[in-house]
Amino acid sequence: MKFIQYIGGIFTALRSLAGGMIVTWKELLTPKVTMEYPENRKTLVISDRWRSELIMPHDENNEHACTACGICMINCPNGTIQVTSSSIDTEDGKKKKILDKHLWDYGSCTFCNLCVITCPSDAIIFNNDFEGALFDRSKLLHRLNHEGSKLRDRKKEASTLDTSAKKENKEA
Amino acid sequence: MLIYSQPLELTKLLAAIDNFLQGHLSPGWAVPVKGILVGILLLAAYAIIALALIYIERKVAAFFQARLGPNRLGKYGTIQSLADMIKILIKEVIHIRKADKLLFYAAPFFVIVASVLAFGALPFGINLHALDFNIGVFYLLAVSSLGIIGILLAGWSSNNKYSMIGAMRSGAQFISYELSAGFSLMTIVVLSGSMQFSEIIEGQRYCWNLFNGHLPAMIAFVIYLISGHAETNRGPFDLPEAESELTAGYHTEYSGLQFSFFYLSEYLNMFIVAAVAATVFLGGWMPVQIKGWEAFNQVMWYIPSWAWFFGKAGLLMFFSLWVRWSFPRLRIDLLLNLEWKYLLPINLANLLVMVVIVLSGFTLTDLFPALFGK
Amino acid sequence: MNNRDETDKTMMDITQIIQRIAPDAQIEERQKLTVTVKPGQLHRVVEALYRNEELPFDYLVSLTGMDWGETLGVIYQFSSSADLTQEVVIMTATADRENPLLYSITDFYETAHLNEREVYALFGIRFINNPDMRRFLLNDQWKGFPFRKDYKHDAGLNPVTVISSEIVDLAPCIRETAGGKLIEENNPVFDAEDYIVNIGPQHPSTHGVMHFRTSLDGEIVKKVDVHSGYIHRGIEKLCESMTYPQMLHLTDRLDYLSANINRHALCICIEKAAEIEVPERALYIRTIMDELQRISSHLLAWATHCNDLGATTAFIYGMREREHILDIFDKTCGGRLIINQNVVGGVMFDLYPDFQKDVKAFIPYMRGRLKEYDNFFSHNAIALGRMVHIGLLSREDAISYGVTGPAGRASGWSCDVRRYKPYALYDRVEFKEIVRTEGDSYARYLNRLNEIAESLHIIEQLIDNIPSGEICAKVKPIIRVPAGQFFQSVETGKGEFGVFIESNGDKNPYRVKFRSPSLSAVSVIPLICKGAFLSDLIGITGSMDFVIPDIDR
Repeated sequence: MKFIQYIGGIFTALRSLAGGMIVTWKELLTPKVTMEYPENRKTLVISDRWRSELIMPHDENNEHACTACGICMINCPNGTIQVTSSSIDTEDGKKKKILDKHLWDYGSCTFCNLCVITCPSDAIIFNNDFEGALFDRSKLLHRLNHEGSKLRDRKKEASTLDTSAKKENKEA
Repeated sequence: MLIYSQPLELTKLLAAIDNFLQGHLSPGWAVPVKGILVGILLLAAYAIIALALIYIERKVAAFFQARLGPNRLGKYGTIQSLADMIKILIKEVIHIRKADKLLFYAAPFFVIVASVLAFGALPFGINLHALDFNIGVFYLLAVSSLGIIGILLAGWSSNNKYSMIGAMRSGAQFISYELSAGFSLMTIVVLSGSMQFSEIIEGQRYCWNLFNGHLPAMIAFVIYLISGHAETNRGPFDLPEAESELTAGYHTEYSGLQFSFFYLSEYLNMFIVAAVAATVFLGGWMPVQIKGWEAFNQVMWYIPSWAWFFGKAGLLMFFSLWVRWSFPRLRIDLLLNLEWKYLLPINLANLLVMVVIVLSGFTLTDLFPALFGK
Repeated sequence: MNNRDETDKTMMDITQIIQRIAPDAQIEERQKLTVTVKPGQLHRVVEALYRNEELPFDYLVSLTGMDWGETLGVIYQFSSSADLTQEVVIMTATADRENPLLYSITDFYETAHLNEREVYALFGIRFINNPDMRRFLLNDQWKGFPFRKDYKHDAGLNPVTVISSEIVDLAPCIRETAGGKLIEENNPVFDAEDYIVNIGPQHPSTHGVMHFRTSLDGEIVKKVDVHSGYIHRGIEKLCESMTYPQMLHLTDRLDYLSANINRHALCICIEKAAEIEVPERALYIRTIMDELQRISSHLLAWATHCNDLGATTAFIYGMREREHILDIFDKTCGGRLIINQNVVGGVMFDLYPDFQKDVKAFIPYMRGRLKEYDNFFSHNAIALGRMVHIGLLSREDAISYGVTGPAGRASGWSCDVRRYKPYALYDRVEFKEIVRTEGDSYARYLNRLNEIAESLHIIEQLIDNIPSGEICAKVKPIIRVPAGQFFQSVETGKGEFGVFIESNGDKNPYRVKFRSPSLSAVSVIPLICKGAFLSDLIGITGSMDFVIPDIDR
C-alpha cells in the first residue's frame, strides 16, 4: 500500500510539474507585450490625465489666467509652489495684484493635483510630457509664467480659455 | 565502417594541420605544439560557448517570462554577452578585508579548472576529441566533482554568513546528487559495455542507448538529467545561490573576473551535463542512422557530426532552461528527500534491472538484430 | 432591529463590568464607547474585557500614543474577534512627563509588543512589564521623543550620521516584582553563542528595508528579531501640520500597493466627522477602484511570494496582469501607483469614457489568468512542499497578534471589515468572505487568489450600474473637523487599515494615527518562523505580504 502511494506520489508530482511547464511553453510562443520605449516614441500613447509637469497655459497673446492669488501655494502640501506678486495701480485707480513669478519645483512635487483642483481661475494644469530627466538639479525649478506675459482679461475670452488650454497641453 | 562524403566535417582540416606540423617540426616538438594548440582551442571554445549560452539563456528565459530579453546591443541584443564580458573584465576586483586571502583567490580557479578538465574530455565530433580514454566516463565524473571544492572554499573563505550557508548547502547537494549521476551513467556503461566515449557512441549507431535499454535506460536518462541539473546548481536546485534567500550564496563576495569564473563555469557545467547526456543516451555526434536505408544515412552524414552533437546537447540544454524557468526552488530538506528517498533507491533498482536485461538479452539490439544490430 | 438591541445589551454589560472594576471611570458614548480610566486601573479593566466570557474583547485594533499637552497617554481600541462591530475605546493618561510609566498589556495582546515599543520611541512612555522596551522605528541613540508636542525640531540634536553603530542586542525592561517594586533590567535578545544573520535591511526578499536579525541553528531559524524604521518618515506627525485635504496625499505613501484604499479610509473618516454626504456615483467609483486596487495588490503579493520561493517567472506573470489594472488607473486618474483618486466628499476624477469597456474586458481576462496561475503554481509539487504546513498560524495567535486580511482569514478568523463594518457600497454587493482554517502559507496563498476572483465578482455587479451625477460633494475650501475622536477602518489588500483622528475643531488634526495591517503581519514573523528553515523564513514573509512603508509610516 505504502509502495503504491510512493509510486503514485511520483506521478502526481510529475503531472503537476508538467502542468507548470505547459504554461511556460505557451508563454514562450505568445507575442510579447513589452513596450520598447525609445523606439515606440511616435506611437506611444500617454493617458490624457497623466500628471507629469505643471504648466501655465498661455494663449497666443502671451496671456495667462493666473491672478496671483496664491491659493495653489497655500494648498501645496510640501511647499513646491512659490508665487511672487507685486501690486500695480490700474488705469481706473485701483490697486491690483499681478503675477511676477510662478515657481514650481519639479523635484519636490508629489503630483497630488491639489493646486490644479483648487485654482479658482484654472490657470495651471498638468501636461503629460513625461520625459523630465535632467542633468542638473537646479533646472528642476520651473518658472511657469512666460517672460512678459500678463493676465488675460476675463470678460473678453472666458469661453475660449478651455480650448486654448487644451491646445497648449497638446503642443507641450 | 562505411565512409560517406562528409563535406563539412573538420577531419580533413585537422589532418592537414597535423601533416603541416609533422612536416615542419621534429617529432619532439610537434606533439607539445599540438597540445598547446588543442589547449588554446579548447579554452577559446569554452569561452565562446559560455558567452553564447549566457545570451541564449537570457533570451529564452525572457521569452518564457513574457519579456523580450536583451535587445539593445546589436540586432536582437546578440553582442550583449560580449559587452558584458568586456565590462566584467574591466571591473574592479574587490578585496575583502577579513577574508582568507589565499583560499578566497584560489577558489574560483578550482571551479573553473574542474569544468575545463571535464570540457576537454568531451567528444565534439568525429576525431574532435582531445582525450579518448578507455575510462572516459569515469574520468569525467571524477574531474567534474572537483568543482565542489572551489565552491566550499569560496563559501568558507569569504567570511560571510550567506556565503557559508550557500557553500554548505552546495556541499550537501553535490555529494548527494553525484551518487545519482554516477549510478545512472553506470546503468548505461552496463548497457554499452564500455567506459570509452568513442565506443559508447559507435555502439549507438542504429539505436540510441535511450531506446536500446528501453525502460531502465529512460529512467536513468531522467535521473541523470535531474541530478545533472542539481549538480550544476541551477533551476529548482539553485539553493547554493538562492537569490531570494542568500542574495548570491557562495559567490556573494566575489566581483569582477573572479565572479565571472563562477559564472562561466556554471554555464559550462550545464553544457557539460547536456553534452554527456547527449553522448551517452542520444548517440553523441553520431547522426541518425537507420539500418538498411543507405540513401537516408547518406543524407544524414551530410550534416556534420559536430552539428549533431551540439544540436542534441542544445536540445537538452533548452529543456534545462525550460525547467529552470518553470519551477520554484526546492528547500534543502526537500532536495535531500528527493535524492535519498526517491532517486537513489530507484536508481539502484534500475541498475539491477539493467543488468538483468543485458544479461538475459532483452535489449532492443539483442531482440531485433535485423533492425538495430551493429 | 433585534441585532441593534443585542448590541446595546452587550455594551450595557461592558459598562457594568468596567464600572465594577473602576467605579470612577468616565464612560462616554462618542463615535465609539469611550472609557477613560486611571493608569493604575488600566490593566485590570483590560483584563476584564479580555476575559469577558460573553464577548471577549480579544482583538487589540490599535494602540495610539497621545500627547494631550499636560498629560501623556495611550488610546486603546479593542474589538471582539467574534464580532468586529463591537468596539471599545479605552483612554488612559499620566501627568508625569519626565518619566511616564504605564502598565503593559502585552500579557493579553501580543500585538501590543511592537506598538508599545513604538509609543515609547515616539512619546517616551515606558510600559511596565513589557519584556522588551527597546525603541521601535527609531534607533537607540535618538534624543528626544519626536511625537510629543513640545519636541523641538533641531537638526543638531539628532544629526545624520554616516557611521553605522553596532546593534546592541540588549532589551531594557521595567519589571514589577510580586511586592509591587519596580526594577529595571536588561535582557539579552540573543544568546552569546548564537549564529546571527542579518536578513535585511538590504535583501532581495524582505520587500523593502525590513531588517530581521535571525539566529540560526544550521539552516533552522531559532529566533527572529524584527528591526524596522528604516523608512520611517513620521507621516502621522507630518499630518498634524497639514490641512485635511493636504493630508490625503500622504496616505498613498503608506501601503503603496493599497494606496487608493488607504486614502479612502481617511476620506471616509473626515467625511463622517465633518458630516459630508458623498454622491452615489462617487461611491460606485470608489468601490470599483478599491476592488481593482485590491486585485493589483494581491497580484503583486502572489508574484512576490512566488518569487521568494524561487519562481521568478511567476513574478513577471503577476506583473503582466497588474499592468492592465495600472493602465486603467492611469487613464482614470493619471497615476499608476499613487493614484490620488479620492478626495474629501467624493473623487477627484470622473471615469473616462471607455472605463466600463476596459474593466469588462479585464474581468474575463483575469479569470483566465487565475486558471493559468493554478496550473502553473498552485498545484506544483515543489510549491506545495514549500507552502503546505509551513508557517502555521493558529486562530488565537492571529487574533492576539492582530493579523487581519487574507493572512488572518487563512487562520480561520473571519475578519473582513467590508462585511462587518461595510463602507462605500459593500453592504449592497454580494461577495463571499474567503476563510480557510489551515493557517499555513498555502492557505494564505490560496486566499489571495480566491479574493481576486471575489473582487472581480464585486466589480461585475457594479460596473453596469454606475449612476450618473456628481462625483464630488460641495465641500468648503477649508475643511474643519469638529472636536472629537474619529475612527474608520477599511479592508486593504493586507488587512484592516485604520485611521484615527483626534481633532480640536481646527483645520489641522491634533493627532492622526494609522493602524497598519503590515505591522501586525511582521510582528507575527518571529512566532511562525521559529523552527522553520531559513528558506521558509523567506517563503513565510512572502506569504504574510507586508509592505515596509506601511509598517514604518
